[in-house]
Amino acid sequence: MHKVLAVLRREFLSRVRTRAFVIGTVLGPLLMGFIVFLPVLLERRQTDARHVVIVDAASGTFGGRVEQRLNGELRDSASGRHRYQVERVVTSPDQIVATRDSLVAMTGLRKAPAGSISGILIVTDTGLAAGRLSYLGTNVGSPSDMNAMERSLTRVVQVERLNRAGVDSAIAFSALRPVDLSTLKVSEGKLTGESGGASFALAYAMSFLLYIALLLYGIQVMSSVVEEKSSRIMEVLVSSLSPFEMLLGKVMGVGSVALLQLGIWAGTAMALTTFRVQLAGLFGVPAAAVGSLPIPAVSPEMFGVFLLFFVLGFFFYSAMYAAVGSMCNSAQETQQAQLPITVFIMAGFFGMFALLSEPAGSLARILSLVPFFAPFITPVRYSFAPLPLIDLLLSVGAMVIGILVVVWIAARIYRVGILSYGKKATFADVARWVRQS
Amino acid sequence: MADAILRVENVVKRFAGHTAVNNLSLDVPRGGLFGLLGPNGAGKTTTIRMIMSIILPDEGRITLFGEPASRALSSRLGFLPEERGLYKKMEVLEHLIFLGEIKGLGRADARARARRWLDRLGLGAWTSHKVEDLSKGMQQKVQFISTLLHDPELVVLDEPFSGLDPVNALDMKNIVIEMGREGRTILFSTHIMEQAEQMCDRVVIIARGEKVLDGTVAAVKAEAGNRNVALTFTRNRERARAVLADRALVAHVDDSGTMAELELAPGAEAEALLTALVGAGVGLSRFEVVEPSLQSIFIARVGPGAAVAPASGDDREVIHA
Repeated sequence: MHKVLAVLRREFLSRVRTRAFVIGTVLGPLLMGFIVFLPVLLERRQTDARHVVIVDAASGTFGGRVEQRLNGELRDSASGRHRYQVERVVTSPDQIVATRDSLVAMTGLRKAPAGSISGILIVTDTGLAAGRLSYLGTNVGSPSDMNAMERSLTRVVQVERLNRAGVDSAIAFSALRPVDLSTLKVSEGKLTGESGGASFALAYAMSFLLYIALLLYGIQVMSSVVEEKSSRIMEVLVSSLSPFEMLLGKVMGVGSVALLQLGIWAGTAMALTTFRVQLAGLFGVPAAAVGSLPIPAVSPEMFGVFLLFFVLGFFFYSAMYAAVGSMCNSAQETQQAQLPITVFIMAGFFGMFALLSEPAGSLARILSLVPFFAPFITPVRYSFAPLPLIDLLLSVGAMVIGILVVVWIAARIYRVGILSYGKKATFADVARWVRQS
Repeated sequence: MADAILRVENVVKRFAGHTAVNNLSLDVPRGGLFGLLGPNGAGKTTTIRMIMSIILPDEGRITLFGEPASRALSSRLGFLPEERGLYKKMEVLEHLIFLGEIKGLGRADARARARRWLDRLGLGAWTSHKVEDLSKGMQQKVQFISTLLHDPELVVLDEPFSGLDPVNALDMKNIVIEMGREGRTILFSTHIMEQAEQMCDRVVIIARGEKVLDGTVAAVKAEAGNRNVALTFTRNRERARAVLADRALVAHVDDSGTMAELELAPGAEAEALLTALVGAGVGLSRFEVVEPSLQSIFIARVGPGAAVAPASGDDREVIHA
């Protein structure tokens, strides 16, 4: 154990003392803060209303209603800022193309007398009947802009159609008012005060952190094995340490670095969410705007489950990475050899998205018993609703069995691999290494 | 030998392609320098790896300090592998402490010992430099210190002087000789016979995995007899060829160009050889009846072909877990 600790300490210190670790640890929270506050800052930046010109070739009052409707749209209720600045050009159906083209030419002019035009909305009778209007604009790539406009136009068209069928427009308007569903998460018989959006954000953030950390630190274990091989220090180590002691010390050493870094990041994340209103104040962001962000509250149990599954996943995957490292002679060789492991980690990460729609379904339950995927699936399931203890224990048990199997195989590959130089090991070679005593 | 610190008995190690060590037995007595000699590919490194319990023999037994060899004894052994290597980014002192710790030393103890050794080898000013900042010779010294740090009873050095410049090689050689004088046991392998001849008390020479010669240097030489002649040519070297090829006069020659060492054929006299060489018009600056060198004894036993390593197949070694 003394020897394993010596290896552990060496692996830990030689990483923590590097500039890369310090930079990574500091940049992580900065990036997180950036992600949290970026939407708020972007929102503030877009103070200008979109300048939209309506080319109205429709008969009756429809064009006017569209103009009225768009003029009434607000960017957010708190500030009372308008979403659109609207102008209407009345024309006849045979003049649409000409009008449109001259307006399109004007979108390029930044200093046009009327300000730059973001888009042109063409309103015609046929369009109204078919439910097809066309919009030409510089912002058509923005899903949020297009969704907002589609919503507004749908309402106007619906009211207009009812109106023409003889329904009073005031009645039509109030009948068509949409439902705003506000979601709050219930957990363990209590209201959490957390919205559905926040639950998703938490699941996403956790999987992403797990994905990045497992990949990053697994590969560190692998390259450290390759480095020991290529620098030939392996020869000294194998005379004093058993391959298992080396493997254990290395995995635990790198794992402690990962835990330290994740701890710093998680602590920062907690501080950011707790003091987000005060922090946002420093950037001049109003408290109301911050409050609307989907930032989840992380319970201590959730945090514990997250760390537990990180540790389990790390042992599982880094043992495999170490075995791959021992099979290779150089960093270049590992690029290809590590691919199968990386694919499993990616499958686990992307599998999480498939489960978001049904976190308690049978597929989710089965996948939490598969060691390759459990490190991602189980914490995500837990974030939606605390799992029954038995489910949690089964998942942990499956991980532990998986780890024992993987470490056994990895150690057998490792003890041959670390002293084999030159020829690249084939799959058949590796299979023989595992079998031979 | 009852007090053998290391005993290797009928050890066999086979790899997929060939037998690397074949029925090898040797005893290393406590104290002094013991040479494991042989050309490249003779099985020296494989034998040493088995002694260090890095790999296990297929047959036979290895006993260290009277106990079956195992990695549990590694704290009583010092090991310098043939392939040297250190963590390049680690500081010298930290590195030595780590290597001491995996041999079972406590941190403080390892630190004190490492400092003492660094001072002794003139590296005292380099303790907090990174290993990669050191010259190759200095790195070798650091690694050499690591084999001695924990005061091992048996020091195993695999080709300790290869790859060193002459100054550093001499430094190391002196330390090894001094340790031998202090009563420590040192087993070292080399393919340079002259080196072993100058330094070792006892030698084992192996070729193709098998033992060829075994005993004290003096006994090995005495057994070979004083029938060797050393020659140094000054001119007309080519005229000597016919004389040296005469099997009535010369049993075999270890020819190194301007110098040659030969063993006289049974019944042949040194004077007859000298007469023949002078008669052929060969210029000589040296004609001396000498003790045979280990090199010439070795070649006499196995023939010059033994210097060629066998073709190896897949000789991956399984590390003893």
